[in-house]
Amino acid sequence: MTWPRLVLRNLLRHPLRTLFTTLSIALSIFLVCAVLTLPGALAAIFERQSSNTRISVHHKAGLTYWLPYAFVRKVRSVPGVAAVNHYSWFGGIYDEPKNLFPNFAMDPETAAQVWPDYGIEPAALERFRKTRNGAVVGEQTMRKFDWRIGQEITLRGTIFPVDLTLEIVGVIPEASGNPVVLWFNRVYLEEAMEPRGGLRFVGMLWVRADRPEHVDRVMQTIADLFRNSEAEVAAETEQAFLTSWFSSFQGFIRVILAVGFLVVGAVVLIAANTSAMGVRERIPEIAVLKSLGFRRRPILLALMAESTLQASIGGVAGAAAAYGILGALRTAGKTGGGMPFLGPLANFQMSPQVAAEGVAIAVVVGLVAGAVPAWNGARLNVVEALRRLF
Amino acid sequence: MAIPLAYNVRNLFVRRWTTAFTMGGIALVVAATMLLAALVGGLQRMLVSTGEPDNLVVLRKGATSDGSSMLPRDAVQALRTLTGVARGPDGEPLASPEIVNQPFVRTTSGNRENVLVRGVEPVALRVHRAVRIVEGRLFRPKLGEVVAGRGAFQRYVPGGLGSRIEFGRRRWTVVGVFDSGGTAFDSEIWADVRDVQDDTRRTGYSGVRLQVAPADREVVIRRVAADGRFTLEAKPEQSYYREQAETANSLYILVLTLAVVMATGAVFGALNTMFAAVSARTAEIGTLRALGFARGTILVSFLTESLLLAAGGLGSGVALAALAVWAVNTLLSGVQFSMMTFSVATVLLRLTPGGALLGLVLAAAIGVLGGIFPAWQAAHLRVVDALHRA
Amino acid sequence: MIEVRDVSRFYTRGVDVVHALERVTLTIPGGRFVALMGPSGSGKSTLLNLLAGLDRPDAGEVVVAGQALSALDEDGLAAWRARHVGFVFQFYNLLPVLTALENVELPLLLTPLPRAERRRRAEIALAAVGIPDRAHHRPQQLSGGEQQRAAIARAIVTDPDLIVADEPTGDLDAKSAVAILNLLKELNRAFEKTIVMVTHDHRAEPFVDLVLRLDKGVLVNGAGAPA
Repeated sequence: MTWPRLVLRNLLRHPLRTLFTTLSIALSIFLVCAVLTLPGALAAIFERQSSNTRISVHHKAGLTYWLPYAFVRKVRSVPGVAAVNHYSWFGGIYDEPKNLFPNFAMDPETAAQVWPDYGIEPAALERFRKTRNGAVVGEQTMRKFDWRIGQEITLRGTIFPVDLTLEIVGVIPEASGNPVVLWFNRVYLEEAMEPRGGLRFVGMLWVRADRPEHVDRVMQTIADLFRNSEAEVAAETEQAFLTSWFSSFQGFIRVILAVGFLVVGAVVLIAANTSAMGVRERIPEIAVLKSLGFRRRPILLALMAESTLQASIGGVAGAAAAYGILGALRTAGKTGGGMPFLGPLANFQMSPQVAAEGVAIAVVVGLVAGAVPAWNGARLNVVEALRRLF
Repeated sequence: MAIPLAYNVRNLFVRRWTTAFTMGGIALVVAATMLLAALVGGLQRMLVSTGEPDNLVVLRKGATSDGSSMLPRDAVQALRTLTGVARGPDGEPLASPEIVNQPFVRTTSGNRENVLVRGVEPVALRVHRAVRIVEGRLFRPKLGEVVAGRGAFQRYVPGGLGSRIEFGRRRWTVVGVFDSGGTAFDSEIWADVRDVQDDTRRTGYSGVRLQVAPADREVVIRRVAADGRFTLEAKPEQSYYREQAETANSLYILVLTLAVVMATGAVFGALNTMFAAVSARTAEIGTLRALGFARGTILVSFLTESLLLAAGGLGSGVALAALAVWAVNTLLSGVQFSMMTFSVATVLLRLTPGGALLGLVLAAAIGVLGGIFPAWQAAHLRVVDALHRA
Repeated sequence: MIEVRDVSRFYTRGVDVVHALERVTLTIPGGRFVALMGPSGSGKSTLLNLLAGLDRPDAGEVVVAGQALSALDEDGLAAWRARHVGFVFQFYNLLPVLTALENVELPLLLTPLPRAERRRRAEIALAAVGIPDRAHHRPQQLSGGEQQRAAIARAIVTDPDLIVADEPTGDLDAKSAVAILNLLKELNRAFEKTIVMVTHDHRAEPFVDLVLRLDKGVLVNGAGAPA
């Protein structure tokens, strides 16, 4: 009879109880993983979307303030700048208002230079440059509306009084970290706006520095360039920009995290409860073991091993379930459907890191929940325990 | 005759740690659920209560919110003179042209957030009847003066009434505070419409709000849609905000799902506790059966014990949730939430009867499901075997 | 008053079939203090369980005070036990969370008596067994002998026709054991209660009217043989 086998046998002694405890831990870890995905998704967005040389340039007052189109040329001539693209929120609606997704007018010519890390196929980019009403679309949006390359779609304008018919010429892969957005050629919008006064502004600029070391200098130069001009700008790294953008979700995320915290608390209580019950019931046994000469430490370790093993299995099961179910939901396009404000967060991609965190929490719970009753059990006075036997 | 309740209560007390842990687990599940429901409740209250029954919102056709809509100047004129629009006692048409902007504003803690600034004319106060100036006064035209909703005032105006805040291209003086009864407007800053147009270098408007007698509502809506010069759409203000609340509704589904998953975990915990109780009290159960207590009586007794656990968990859970809601609302002044407009609104958590009911149902379900199987087992023990397990 | 006709009872333990009782027939007249004795595994406890309506025979018939127990279903047996049988166990089987008085009161909850009346009878029963001052103590606070007395009080409080006792002195020291046997005898004499006691305590023999011996599930000394 080896210690591992003893531990296993003990767990199987009350199969139903072990099953219930493991299931409740699995369920709780499933929840914890789902909840942890939010901040994890945020971090992932920053890591994937931000190349360390990309800089956002927008009007200091806010994103609803236009920048003059002439700024594009000026920024291009700043030393250290490898490429510049412009970005203007069109806000077009496809079919129904609730299908809102981000769509921007921008410059197909420099798309590849500013976003080389997005991994868009060169052939697609070529088509994008050549087709005046061409559009590249994020993979998730393609899936959501069941669009195909070559298909024509119409976006109804809201801030702009024009409707645009675009031809899908390419896909922005999911791996880019920005799988929802749609890009089209600004020139097409300009032409459509001609009879209504034209378009002389852009929403913001995206700039790529030639080297990471030059980023700070480039940002400073751009800011200085337009100081005291008609439109003062703020230049910041893509990471800073995204952080700021999502800080408004912080409160919401904090509530969700608080819930996750409560759930973990509930898990610990349940696991501790079960563990304590198990130990209490086995006090006579432990007394016999001790009277037979077994020392305290092995008994304690065996008890803790039991509760930790149980919790770990539950943790792995819960994390795996979360991964599988969230993944399935995402593939089916179900996540984020009703929550467009979440934007890229709606991806709900559960990272392996979150899974690891979930399992780690389970293991800690098992250790903690096993520790106290195990300590009490192992410390037991033999005579007293034996007396309880008879 | 039933087994006295004292039997159950005292037994719960005797195994006090187990009882405490199980109740604690249930309490956390109830609290977490009610907290999430309170977030949704606060959102819904804010959105659903916003909107006058007599008002129509006129936006560009297909726009999802006034932040993403654009109306030209002559459209506003046409709407002002539209038949069916109510008039004030002085003959002024109760039509409020508005322009919505989302500049960056710094919070008292130094974060940068999108805030909704609404450029209005004084007639806005007559059209938005729920809005009342409670401190200071309304702004005077073209002087860069603003009034802030209660929530916005707390968050963005550390200097208090009369101080200046900075957003857009200039500084503004806060001359008043308004209260809108907990609706979405409380998170907004209102300024003179021409000041906002100047600041954003725009000549158009976002939308117009009309006060229309209920009898004329349908007619006006049709007239607005039929006007071929512009592509506009009018809808009742309450419907407009209710549609924004759809986001909250999809959140409610999330809350329900989380609640069910958490509760299932708690059920397993309760099951463990009750099965252990039955196991420990087998001799007692045998004695009761021997004495002549019917199986049904024993079942009810153990089920009651499980329900007592659940009741204790419910009570503590509600208290915990109430404390958390108070803490968030008072110490953090609510939760920041971004809606369709991407600007930040402060949502006060609100414990709803629906949330409390949900908590009650959860606790009851946990009590019943966690108790019925062990109770059934207790009731159907073989008396002879049970007695001999003494 | 108790008739056992050709009763058999067996159990399966894994692959073995244990014949606990093999075609036992006996009669116990009312008002007698009877001991069921025999070595371990002789079936005496099994027989006691059948007489008390706690178990059913696989074959044969048990009739107690005119009631054929086989005619009653599970709930019927429970109700019958409540009215007609009092139990005394080796390990007392008092509910630890109830006081002595509340324990004694327990069987009365199955009757329509009002609360005040239940209390009164329980107090009388406790006095009858000699521990009126222990009424509000919990079992943990009583000695073994006192606990058994409380259990006996519980057994008589409903005024049953039959009292069954399973090794009532098994857990007691010599002095307490004798005291309990005396008490049982007193109850038998004073109130003409039929008492059937399973025991392997030889000290019990002088106290009883009748000894029935069992061995390997079979009655050894015939029905009705005097001690």
